[in-house]
Amino acid sequence: MTDEELMMAVCRGDQRAYQTIVKQHLTSISHYAFRILGNQKDTEDITQEVFLKLWTNAPQWKPEKAKLTTWLHRITHNLCIDYLRKHGRMQTRESFEEETASFELNGADASNYKIKILNQALGQLPENQRSAITLCHYQGFSNKEAAAIMNISVKALESAVARAKRSLRNRLLEEDVKTEQPVENDKLGNGKSDSVESKQRREPG
Amino acid sequence: MTIEEFTKIVESYGSEAARWPAEQREQCRTFMASNAAASTLLNQQRELESLLDQITVPEFPTLESRVLNQQLPKQEASVLDRALAWLLPKNSFSQQLWRPAMLACLPLVFGIVIGNFFSFGIALENDGFAYWDDELTMLSLNEYTENSF
Repeated sequence: MTDEELMMAVCRGDQRAYQTIVKQHLTSISHYAFRILGNQKDTEDITQEVFLKLWTNAPQWKPEKAKLTTWLHRITHNLCIDYLRKHGRMQTRESFEEETASFELNGADASNYKIKILNQALGQLPENQRSAITLCHYQGFSNKEAAAIMNISVKALESAVARAKRSLRNRLLEEDVKTEQPVENDKLGNGKSDSVESKQRREPG
Repeated sequence: MTIEEFTKIVESYGSEAARWPAEQREQCRTFMASNAAASTLLNQQRELESLLDQITVPEFPTLESRVLNQQLPKQEASVLDRALAWLLPKNSFSQQLWRPAMLACLPLVFGIVIGNFFSFGIALENDGFAYWDDELTMLSLNEYTENSF
């Protein structure tokens, strides 16, 4: 059955069609929510709400305007942004740090350390940059589709992706410099460069 | 092509050439082959993407059953859907006939009422007969001349 046929069945109240759609899109939606929210509990709550909205608002989906996956990601994006605005970013960032802390225990080699740093840096990105990089890199959307999901222009999306990648790359380069010069970093204090610290201070929450 | 333009494309579209804008793809490849800074940038981008790929999402073992077993509320029908449901009810054949017929008569009734109250610039001779009666006689499709005046 095509997405259109399934959604027509959902509009008629067919619960089997609903279940098929859930099975098809659950992983993608939950992964997107997790990468934006950064913790398991909120991800599960938001994912549940997304599919509830799919059920109640099924007639609002216009197949000629957007693919079903794009529409579902848009619902997810809006719910995540609302959630972050309502509950503040602090909770999310803490969760990212918890995730990375548990990650650190699993492996201690240089590559794993870089991944840990990168995960932390991802958690510190502004929401629009994090959403943009998640949609384009992890969810595999084209820039046009990602822009439609975030309800911004393609140019704004490209700018957000570019800034996010630049920021992540700079973070990795800073780590490379630090690991190459541990003694000098120790003399400086905690090893963080002024630019990184001032950038973190500027971050909201 | 300049290094700034190349950087913008790689940062906006990623390191995979397949994702680059088709009209600039070949230009980018040529530029990359002749520019060391461009190759370095692309390698950094690839390394970043490879590290990003290694950041995984945990499993959600109970989520599927939680979503599938949640209590689904009654669906909200749009105004149009509700109007259509009233016009063509599924359970009553007689209502399926008279409701559309009633709706079809509405423009006719509306036209008669409007026509009766407004002349729309057409001057009517008032010959002393009730105009409303004439109108009904005409609508009854009788031979108008058969009536005795």
